[in-house]
Amino acid sequence: MNLRCRFPPVLAGILIGISMLLTFVVAGRGIGVSGMMTRLVATVQHWVLPELTEKSAYFSAYFAHGAHPLNDYLSYLMIGLLVGAFAGAWSCGDFRFEVQRGPRISVPGRLVYALIGGAITGFAARLARGCTSGQGLVGAAELSVGSWAFLLCIFIGGFATAWFVRKQWI
Amino acid sequence: MDIVAPLVKTGVISEAANLWLAVPIGFVFGFALYHAGFTDSRKIARAFYLKDVGVPVVMFSAIVTGMLGLWLLSLAGFIDTSKMYYLPTYLMPMAIGGLLFGIGMAIGGFCPGTAASSIATGRVDAMVFVVGFLGGSILFGDLFPVWGDFYKSDYRGVYRLDELFGMNLGSVVLILVVAAVAGSLLMRLGQHLFWSTPKDQSMEPEQVLKYEVPLVVLALVIGGVLAFFPTGSFFKQDNTSTYYIIQKEAAPAQMHQRQQGPRKTPAIETEPEAPVPTHKGGEGC
Repeated sequence: MNLRCRFPPVLAGILIGISMLLTFVVAGRGIGVSGMMTRLVATVQHWVLPELTEKSAYFSAYFAHGAHPLNDYLSYLMIGLLVGAFAGAWSCGDFRFEVQRGPRISVPGRLVYALIGGAITGFAARLARGCTSGQGLVGAAELSVGSWAFLLCIFIGGFATAWFVRKQWI
Repeated sequence: MDIVAPLVKTGVISEAANLWLAVPIGFVFGFALYHAGFTDSRKIARAFYLKDVGVPVVMFSAIVTGMLGLWLLSLAGFIDTSKMYYLPTYLMPMAIGGLLFGIGMAIGGFCPGTAASSIATGRVDAMVFVVGFLGGSILFGDLFPVWGDFYKSDYRGVYRLDELFGMNLGSVVLILVVAAVAGSLLMRLGQHLFWSTPKDQSMEPEQVLKYEVPLVVLALVIGGVLAFFPTGSFFKQDNTSTYYIIQKEAAPAQMHQRQQGPRKTPAIETEPEAPVPTHKGGEGC
């Protein structure tokens, strides 16, 4: 195995844990990704439908006191995340446009699954107030009961669904 | 030693510096996600078939690292955990959200962080996944009145496992470290049993032992220190300090109520004692 481009799981996990620990020490909060994506859709919808978005029961909080939704800690984190992943892939000669799919599924089929899975995940992340990083990893490290329930349920939901979509992956 | 962290809450660094420091932290996160193989949707999805258990092992070790680091730094009196922002628990919405999230992950092959980092490597399925993700988020937001009541239900405040189990926090940490190690071993056993020759990025046992065993021993030792250190809870209400080891001199003034919005604390008591931050405000933001 190429140790330069694929860290052993425990070492990669420790590195992710360290990035999380750094946000605790520096910012007193955790890492997070889905929050930034919500702020992004709020911004886009605000371009198209400013009045509706500012009065929206859910999105209005992002515009309180003339604030800009994307002027937030998570946006800076996202910039770093994108650059970091790009740097990793580029230095390993692994940057390429490709549809990743299992051996038994077509390209359009995979993209339809990706779209559906993304939509369900997007809805679920809002309902759970976070995703795998913000709610899962950070909350688990903080020993939050809700986060551990969330993590456990991800595995239950994933294992329960796996059989039905097996043609896509294996 | 004065309590210096969280740096932005104790005034060591400015708000602007905090924002810009998020960029290198995000870089480490994205770099690690790539090197964990998390930019590959197939690898993530194979975890749900126990065909490649690298994903849960990475997650467990990330949680253990963050957890041990946070509470050990608190024990050492380096980080003021009462100034941290904690995620509140809304139990049912989070459980149902987790179920849906798991279903979405098995179908889509990503979660938001891995999809974003995968986009940065050029993967097209990740781009489509994020389009779907944004769609799901906007649907949730725009039809919020439909599920708003459920979203706000079952509120438990900041609710930690040590409170749930009625144990001291260090013991819970030690139990979770043991559970993470046991869970990783069980999942590897499952992969070995169900998929006879796991070729994907698996390693030879000797190699695994060489670097993993010392790390697991270290984690258990730190967990043991946290669990058996002869004090009560990190957050004992009648204690004058929120820390195990460092008992501050002017204790009563340092008392913080953990539950009452730690991020709102305007004037931080430790600030006058802290070394004057000479670089403060010079970030050119």
